[in-house]
Amino acid sequence: MRMKTSRFGAFYLSLFFVILYLPVLGVILYSFNASPSTAQWTGFTLDWYRVLFEDRVIAASFRISMEVAVITSIVSAIIGTASAVVAMRATAGMKRAIQGVMILPLLIPEVALGIALLVFFNSLNLPFGHFTLVASHSLFCVPYVYIMVQLRLKEIDRSILESARDLGATRWQATKTIILPLVMPSIVTASLLALAMSLDDVIISTYMSGPKTTTLPVHIFSMMRVGVTPKVNALCTLILVGMFFVVGLSQLFTKKIHKEDM
Amino acid sequence: MKQPLLSLVNINKYFGDFHVLKDISFDIEQGEFLTLLGPSGCGKTTLLRCIAGLESIHSGDILLNGSSIKDMAPNKRNVNTVFQNYALFPHLNVYDNIAYGPRVKKSMTEAELKERAANVLELVQMLGYEKRMPHQLSGGQRQRIAIARALINEPAILLLDEPLGALDLKLRKHMQTELAQLQKKTGTTFVYVTHDQEEALNMSDRIVVIDQGEVQQLGSPRDIYNNPVNLFVTTFIGDRNMMRVRVLETEATHSLVQFGENVVSIRNSGQHQLEVGREAVLAVHMDKMRVSCHEQPNALVGEVLSVHYSGSQIRIRVKVADRQITVVEYQKIDCECEKGDQVYVTWEDHGAILLPPEDGWAEGEV
Amino acid sequence: MQTLKRNILAVPILVWLGLFVGIPLVFVFVLSFLSRDSLGTIVFQFTWENWQRVFDPIYLRVFRNSLLLAFLTGLVTIVVGYPVAYITSNLEPKKRALSIGLIMLPFWISSLLRTYGWMILLGNAGIINNVLRALGIIDKPLPMMYKFGTTLVGTAYMLIPFAIVAIFNSVDKLDRSLLEASYDLGANKRQTFFNITLPLTLPGIAGGFTLVFIPALGLFYVSDLLGGGNTIFLGNMINTQVTRGRNRPLAAAFSIAMIAVVLLVISIYGRIAKDDAEGLFL
Repeated sequence: MRMKTSRFGAFYLSLFFVILYLPVLGVILYSFNASPSTAQWTGFTLDWYRVLFEDRVIAASFRISMEVAVITSIVSAIIGTASAVVAMRATAGMKRAIQGVMILPLLIPEVALGIALLVFFNSLNLPFGHFTLVASHSLFCVPYVYIMVQLRLKEIDRSILESARDLGATRWQATKTIILPLVMPSIVTASLLALAMSLDDVIISTYMSGPKTTTLPVHIFSMMRVGVTPKVNALCTLILVGMFFVVGLSQLFTKKIHKEDM
Repeated sequence: MKQPLLSLVNINKYFGDFHVLKDISFDIEQGEFLTLLGPSGCGKTTLLRCIAGLESIHSGDILLNGSSIKDMAPNKRNVNTVFQNYALFPHLNVYDNIAYGPRVKKSMTEAELKERAANVLELVQMLGYEKRMPHQLSGGQRQRIAIARALINEPAILLLDEPLGALDLKLRKHMQTELAQLQKKTGTTFVYVTHDQEEALNMSDRIVVIDQGEVQQLGSPRDIYNNPVNLFVTTFIGDRNMMRVRVLETEATHSLVQFGENVVSIRNSGQHQLEVGREAVLAVHMDKMRVSCHEQPNALVGEVLSVHYSGSQIRIRVKVADRQITVVEYQKIDCECEKGDQVYVTWEDHGAILLPPEDGWAEGEV
Repeated sequence: MQTLKRNILAVPILVWLGLFVGIPLVFVFVLSFLSRDSLGTIVFQFTWENWQRVFDPIYLRVFRNSLLLAFLTGLVTIVVGYPVAYITSNLEPKKRALSIGLIMLPFWISSLLRTYGWMILLGNAGIINNVLRALGIIDKPLPMMYKFGTTLVGTAYMLIPFAIVAIFNSVDKLDRSLLEASYDLGANKRQTFFNITLPLTLPGIAGGFTLVFIPALGLFYVSDLLGGGNTIFLGNMINTQVTRGRNRPLAAAFSIAMIAVVLLVISIYGRIAKDDAEGLFL
């Protein structure tokens, strides 16, 4: 039995969601304001988007961010999925060890991890740029892929894998034909989350960016410090729309897979 | 001597400190329907998984057609399993499920596969379901597909792990007949695991009764039902009244025993040495007993405690020598007895058995 | 032999994480005991100076600010988020899915955008002030930006989805028949909540608090944008030392101290939830 939601409950929930989305809506709304200040609404305009598209620095940092995010999400999807599958087969002790090190990056505040990586890469004399960005971003993306794939793997009945082996499949064949198709929706969702997190990261990227490889969030952050300008609103709105577009597509894709699933 | 299809030789297996399989040895013959029967946790499923290669064994050997398969990976062994929950691949349709084995082993061309798949589907009466997904099938249908998926590989042995456990009673009865027929038709050797004695008795050529990781008895259903070799098998198979009696005399075919005031003659099973003057356990099938209002030879005298009608059965509880025994009759008894009446309880000769008592056995109705 | 075969593939994973997490942490630890010259270049000379500064009363205040912020953020997100999780888990399936979707959606929205949204709402020329002025309630803008409270609101806003998800998972697992049994035995709603629901969902609360507390310690861009540097927090402090002060050894010492605080919080979580840190995520 589920209790009927009281009127107060419904009100509280609605109020919560209004407050949760109000700042986001505010940003979107003022990206169309003709006045450069939020003090007044002087009319609808798309000017800020035009200004945005003319900004070469933003275009460059957007490209870098996209490159880093795409590579990060692919790398994370591979390492995270492989780790989950390996952990499933490993002995109990080894499984614990894998899980332990997996969550480590999530337990360290990002600033501390960022500094640690900065010092590390510095001492190796590695140039800061794509490599350092991808390496550091995958540190916090891989665990999320691992967690999501691992949750799905737990749902898969052990006897299904045994049955594949029993019917003549080698370990690798069973992985390829049974495990991977069954966890694919989780891998897709997880790598998109990795994409989003990489595209969104400010803190670690602050330390990992090279002089010519400033990522978009790092750039936006420096713009925001200067103050409120509708150009930032427009940029944020575009990122939001782009992200929702990708997530929406993936939802359609995973829904289709899930329908065929049990 | 003919070589057995599969030989289990002194198999031992541990889960940690727990000794699951204790020195198990027996042979499985070509073409037979063999059932591993025992209570849950007795090790029967573990034994099946050892044969399939899904569990390793600590000592002993498994010989298929005379050669050891104990170190072979499950995908290399020519045996297939029907899992308790069917384990159909949820993302593959019926045809692709059935084609899975031949495809991963690359043992057939797609054309051969198509023909063979049609054959096995026909065998399990599922032709026309090729494009269905597993979640679109009923429990009974999934069961059939799981069997077809295993049979297409033409295994030397088909291992079935409580395959009817998840079905409802009516379907279970129906599938029992069908499975037995399928086994005869294909001639495939079946090794079947169940905890349900009725299933085992109905379907098998031979039954292996297992308890606490040990083989208790191996024999035909009839043998196991009528001539249990020890108290465990006696209590586990069939519903029996168990009585502690004193042996007065033993003769060639029968022994004279005393139960309370009653002295009755019971056949010797031939497997047990009974000593005169010592205690023994008398076990009688409830449904092989009769209640009579008139004096009968070789009967136990008792007082009716209750008469209970349930469907076609009449259950009569009778107090004999301060013990309760239950009699199950299917037809109208030769007299209408009521609570408090004095009655005479008789039994069919082969329905009773005498066994030596074992440590820790407590008298009671099982 | 078989064990080795099962485990061999795990080695590269452990090596990868060890290389990119373990070694850097050791580096930072070592760095916190090193000196630097006037240009900010690290000199390999042992010193206690950085750690002495960590425990200097001025810097201890930074610690206090950060701990207070992280603690209050945890508290606010739990108090506000608990009812959200609880109500959501009791909704009928369709509304429930919608509500879960709305809770999870912010994970996909840029965190800078969400912080920026508060600048637009709370600024002197911001939406709230505009509305209040238009309604004639105030005639001078209410100063709402650049306060401790602003940072608290922004940080809590940023992290509340983590708290709600953690609480939701434990509320949803709660066996409803226990609540029915409690009502049946004569308890009212309040008594049932405090005697049954709350204790049984405590692990979720502890998990949510921990998941919020850890990032709240270092979310420097929120305090930078909304707090305007009026209150100095650990994150800003470390960030400033690295990017502008060029005092990496000091930043390293603060980072290690921060990690120590996190370990302490996780061990408290372990006590309350009777689980280890993995339980936070798995």
